Amino acid sequence: MNQRILAAFWLLAPAMLFGADSQWVLGQSTLSYRVSHPLHESVGVSHQARGKGVCHAGQCDFLIAAPVKSFDSGDSNRDLHMLQATRGAQFPLVTVRVALPETELNSATIRCDLEIQFGGQTAHYKQVPFQREVHGNDVRIAGTVPATLTDFKIDPPSLLTVPIKNDITVRVEMTWRPQ
Amino acid sequence: MIGDNFGNQIGRVRRLVLFCLFATLAPFLAAQTAATGTLTGKVVDASGAAVAGAKITAVSADAGQAQTATTGADGVYRLTLPPGYYRLMFEASGFVTVGIASATVAASATSVLDGKLDAVAQNSQQPATKSPEKPAEPSLNDLGFPTDQTAGNAAEQMRLDRRSHMLKIHQRLGLVTAGALVATLVLSNGAAGRNSTSSGRELHAAVGGATAGLYITTASFAIFAPKIAGTKTRGPIRVHKALAFIHGPGMILTPILGALAYEQRSSGQKVHGIASAHGAVATVTAISYGAAMLSVVFKF
Repeated sequence: MNQRILAAFWLLAPAMLFGADSQWVLGQSTLSYRVSHPLHESVGVSHQARGKGVCHAGQCDFLIAAPVKSFDSGDSNRDLHMLQATRGAQFPLVTVRVALPETELNSATIRCDLEIQFGGQTAHYKQVPFQREVHGNDVRIAGTVPATLTDFKIDPPSLLTVPIKNDITVRVEMTWRPQ
Repeated sequence: MIGDNFGNQIGRVRRLVLFCLFATLAPFLAAQTAATGTLTGKVVDASGAAVAGAKITAVSADAGQAQTATTGADGVYRLTLPPGYYRLMFEASGFVTVGIASATVAASATSVLDGKLDAVAQNSQQPATKSPEKPAEPSLNDLGFPTDQTAGNAAEQMRLDRRSHMLKIHQRLGLVTAGALVATLVLSNGAAGRNSTSSGRELHAAVGGATAGLYITTASFAIFAPKIAGTKTRGPIRVHKALAFIHGPGMILTPILGALAYEQRSSGQKVHGIASAHGAVATVTAISYGAAMLSVVFKF
């Protein structure tokens, strides 16, 4: 009898575990975009991203958002030009949605399908790799999104009539905590 | 005699400044006096049915002014607008807001621009009805951003667009001015020293005058570009702006001193008095102007 109960438990345990709801909240974060111009490179950084993740029945949905205005390149003039070019006043948030199997959260390299809304446009990025490290309760995620200006129909800002390059990679470093 | 000629030179500079100001302001003045045009269209939902009560906001790319209209029962709206470029927003309760980056309104003409609105996704509003046991997917409301960080501001976007447009012209004219400035400096060899000639002085004065005019026009596009409230000036742009306090007065002073020097040389005198500072002031002005350009080009 006991053996049957034990066997039933081991059979049902994974389903029960996957079925358990869990929520995640974004703690510290650093999002940095890099733009290149033949004369120099600049990096805009934001620490103001907020995020939430919900896992249910083995499936997780994450939402991360950051105010476009919060990206700081160290030059207010450059930041205002970027805000204009990215239509940041009209569409003040950049949002990222991620849906992935809960089992993926335990991998050292998490491959995510991203849906990014930015500047009134939506772009999808498939299988973007993020490195995962666990520090106690915290899960640190780091990776790079290979975004381009054309993905979001952004006219490249120019300096002395020379436009910046189309690539605008975004480095993501986030710390998630279970809620 | 010198006083009269100096007065004539000042008069020329004043006419040049007025001409440059007129050239700068003419498009804006013309835009104010032109006839109006009409922008009309029909707003429908995904099924093609008319959307009544939708709000359409048109914000002028030039003036930044907004006008609104509301669709009638047939989904049709109508806006009477001055000619120009407009950014449009279509908003209606229960529908996702749609923005159109640029629409053109021509004078005495009717432009047609229809809008199609998609209903707000049901799962973001009523997650419980679809799957009572499933927790709602995270939404922006869960993240707790203040409203001022999430609400779009079309008027602010228009100000940014106009600012960037004017500063782009500022940059391009600045390059042209730099070329004219270099030419003026090169031509100064024929205006002063042992090899100077009357024609050399006149050519130097003419190119220098054109440089000053270009400079004033260039500066006006930066000075009159819209300011964005709540923005603190940080980074290399501070150096760029600070240097304007050197080359700005320099660009005013240099032609005045040059006119004095020109008059003295033309009357057979050796350049003397304050006019002898013309070359030094011009050099400081050119160096500070070049440094101002470099300050935005190279990162430091």
